[in-house]
Amino acid sequence: MKHGTKPRPPAGPELHGLLAEFDSPGALLTAAERVRDAGYTKWDTHSPFPVHGIDEAMGIRRTRLPWLVFVFGVLGCVTGLALQWWTNASDSREFSFLPAHLQGYAFEIGGKPLFSLPANIPVIFELTVLLAALATVIGMFAMNNLPRHHAPLLAQERFKRATTDRFFVFITAADPKFNATRTHHLLSGLGGSAVESVAASSEPAHLPRSLIYATTIVICLLLLPPLFVAKARFTKSAEPRIQLIRDMGNQERYKTQQVHALFVDNRAMRPQVPGTVARGDLRDDAHYYEGKVSGDWATTYPPQLEISESFVRRGQQRFNIYCAACHGLGGAGDGIVSQRALARDTPGWTVPTSLVNQTVIERPLGHIFNTITNGIRTMPPYGDQIPEQDRWAIIAYVRALERSQNAHLEDVPVELRPELR
Amino acid sequence: MNPNMPQSELSASRDFRRPAARVAGVACVVGIAGLAAGVASGYSAGWEVFFRSYLLNYSFVLSLALGALFFVLLQHLVRAGWSVSLRRLAEFAAGTLPVLALLFLPLVIPLWKGMPGVWMWSAPDVVAADPVLQAKAAYLNVPFFLARCAFYFLVWCVLARYYLHQSVAQDTDGQPRRTLAMQWWSAPGMLLYGLTVTFFAIDALMSLNPHWFSTIWGVYFFSGCLVGFFAFLALLVYLIQGRGQLASHITVEHYHDIGKLAFGFVVFWAYIAFSQYMLIWYANIPEETVWYLPRQGDTWWLSVSLLLLFGHFVAPFLALISRGPKRRPGLLALAAVWLLLMHWLDLYYIVTPRPSGFAAPAAPLHLTDLTLFVGLGGLFVAALVWPMTRWSLIPERDPRLPEALAFRNI
Repeated sequence: MKHGTKPRPPAGPELHGLLAEFDSPGALLTAAERVRDAGYTKWDTHSPFPVHGIDEAMGIRRTRLPWLVFVFGVLGCVTGLALQWWTNASDSREFSFLPAHLQGYAFEIGGKPLFSLPANIPVIFELTVLLAALATVIGMFAMNNLPRHHAPLLAQERFKRATTDRFFVFITAADPKFNATRTHHLLSGLGGSAVESVAASSEPAHLPRSLIYATTIVICLLLLPPLFVAKARFTKSAEPRIQLIRDMGNQERYKTQQVHALFVDNRAMRPQVPGTVARGDLRDDAHYYEGKVSGDWATTYPPQLEISESFVRRGQQRFNIYCAACHGLGGAGDGIVSQRALARDTPGWTVPTSLVNQTVIERPLGHIFNTITNGIRTMPPYGDQIPEQDRWAIIAYVRALERSQNAHLEDVPVELRPELR
Repeated sequence: MNPNMPQSELSASRDFRRPAARVAGVACVVGIAGLAAGVASGYSAGWEVFFRSYLLNYSFVLSLALGALFFVLLQHLVRAGWSVSLRRLAEFAAGTLPVLALLFLPLVIPLWKGMPGVWMWSAPDVVAADPVLQAKAAYLNVPFFLARCAFYFLVWCVLARYYLHQSVAQDTDGQPRRTLAMQWWSAPGMLLYGLTVTFFAIDALMSLNPHWFSTIWGVYFFSGCLVGFFAFLALLVYLIQGRGQLASHITVEHYHDIGKLAFGFVVFWAYIAFSQYMLIWYANIPEETVWYLPRQGDTWWLSVSLLLLFGHFVAPFLALISRGPKRRPGLLALAAVWLLLMHWLDLYYIVTPRPSGFAAPAAPLHLTDLTLFVGLGGLFVAALVWPMTRWSLIPERDPRLPEALAFRNI
C-alpha cells in the first residue's frame, strides 16, 4: 500500500496537489485538524458520507450563502409588489412620458380596490420563494466553483474509493504554504494509508464533443418558440386563435334572456338591486347629463368642460360622423341622405333642420343637447351612441358652424381679408 | 458527547421525582382553585360566558396535548433519531389526554341534559326558527355529536396510552421490538389522528358559527396546535433544565431543532390562516365573510386580528429566522412564552366572538377567561408532571438514544 508515496520528479507534468488517503472518518477528522493547524487554506476533504464535525476540524467559516438568499428573497418580494402595482394600479396619465406598451393601467376586477395587499400576497410570496430558491441553488454551485466538467482528482485511480469506503485530504499546489517536500512530509505523518501526488490535468480542458453538439441543438430548439411568437406578432391571419387550454375567454356562461333555475323569477339576467347605482352610472349632474339648470335649458357649457380648439375639433369629427349625413357638412340641412331622399321623392320625408338659421342660433345649449340625446320628430335619439362629453363637443362645433355661416367682414382676421373676393 | 454514556448518568433524572411530585401537587391545587373561581365568576357573568371561556381554555390545553401526540407519532413514523431524548416529554404531554377527556364532560353535559350549551345548534328553539340549521341537523344533532366526540377521545386516549406505556415498558426490558411495534402503529395512528383532529375542529370550534364553513378549518386548528406544542416543549425543556435535569441529554442542538420546528409551524400557521382569509376576502360572498364580520367589526376585535397578524406571524418570524436565537435556550424560552400567548389569543379569536347577528356580551374579555385558564392550565400541568414522579424523563433504553445524545446540526 505504500507505493507511490514519493513525490514525482519535477521533470514530470506540473504538480496539481497532494492526496492523502485515510481508513476512517475519525482519522480524517484528526488529519483535518492537523492540516488546519499547519495553516493551509486551499485544501479539501472528501468522504463517502457527511462527517459530523468536519467543518470545525477544517476551520471552515459559516457560509455567506444565507445573505445571498436573503437579498434575493427581499428582491423577489419587492419585485412582486412593484410588478402588481405597476400593471394593475399605476395611473398611466402620470407616466405618459413612457411608450404606451410600457405603461401600466388601472385594471379593475369585480369592484375590488386597484391595489390591495391581500390579493397581492400570493404573487409576492411566490416570487420571494422563487428568487430565494434560485439564489440558493445557483449561489451554492457558484460558491463551490461548480459545475466543472473535469477535475484532475477524478483521474486518480485511488480517489474512486472516495464514494465507497475511503476518506481523503487533498492540498492543492496553489496554496501559499504549499511546498512539495514539506507538505508531503506533513501528510505522511498523519497516519493515513497512502500519500500520492496528483498531476495537473494532461487532458485537454475543452468540453467533450458530444456535449457541444447537444448544447448547440438545444439552443437551436430554444430559439424556435420566440420565432413563432415573433411570427404571430408581426403577421396577420384569418384563422381563429389556437386554444391549447380552454381559458376564461371561452367558458360556459349565461347569456341575456336565458332561463336560470336558481332565481325565483327564473331569469339569468339580474335586475339592478333596488336602491343601488352601478359604478359609473350615477348621473346626479343635470347640467352635464341632461342640459338643464334648475329645470330650464342650460345656456352655458357645464363647468367641468374646457372649451378649447381641440374640444371643437373633436366635435367636428363627431359631427361629420353622426350628424353630417343628414344635416350636411355645413349644417344647412343638405346632407347626402336628404339629397337622395328628395331626388327619389320619398313620401313623407321631412327635410332636416338647418342648424345655422336664426331659430337654432337662438336655442339654448341645453335644448340642442336634449335634441341630440332624445331625438326630435323623425330624428332618432343619439344618446346611446354619443357619450355626453362628445355631445357637448358637437354643440360647440355647431356654434362654430353658425358663426361661420353668419360672419361679417370684421370676423375675418385682417391679414386674411385680401384673400376674400 | 459520548454516546456510550454510563447508565448511572442516564438515570440521573430519578432525582427529579420529589420536586416533580411537589410541582404536580401545587398545580393540582391551583387548578382546582382556578376552576372553583371560574365557576364563581361564571355564575355572576352568566352560563353562556362561562361555557365560552371554558371551551376557549379547554381548546388551549387540548391543542398542546394533541400537538404532543402528533409529535410522538411523527417521530416514530419517520424513525427519527435526534428527538429520542425529547420524546418522553411529548409522551407525557400526550398522556394527559385521558384527563382532558374527563375535563371535556362539563361542555357536553348540558347537551346531554337538553340544556343550551355553548353550541347554538343544540338548542331546539334556535333550530326550529332556522331553515339552514334544520338542513344541517342530519350532522349537527346532539346524539351524533356525542358519539363523534366519544370516538375522537377514544382514539386519542388509546394512542397516547399505547405510546406512553410501550415507551416506559422499554425502560425496564429494553426490548427493541417495542420500537418496531410503535413504528408499525404510527402510520395508521397518523391517519386516524388527521381525521379525528379535523373533525373535532369542525365539531367543537367551527360549529360555534353553524351557518359558516371553511374547508381549510381542520388544518388551521392543527397548525395552531403545533405552534403551541413546540413553544410549550421549548419552555418545558428550559424549565426542567433549570432544575438541573437533562443537562447532558438535551443540548443546544435539540433547542435549535425545536426552534426550527416552531419557526416552520409559525409560517405554516400564517400560510393557512391567510389562505382561508384571502379566498373569503376575494370572493366576498356574504355566507363566507360572515365569520370575519364580527372579528373586524369593532376596534377591539380589529386590534386582536392585527395583533395576531403581527404577533403570531411577523414578530416570531423575524425573531426565529436566524440561527442565533434558536441556539440560546433563554431567548428561545422567551419566544416560546410569547408564542403560547399568541396561540391562546388565536383560540380566543376563534371561540369568543358571537356569530354575526347575535348580541355580543357586554365585555369582550371576562374574568372567567383568566380564572379558567388558571384552572384548566393547572390541571393540565398536574396531569403532565405527575408521570414524572414514576418514570424517567427520557426513554432510557430506546435503541436510538445514543444517536439522540450525539446529535449535532450539520
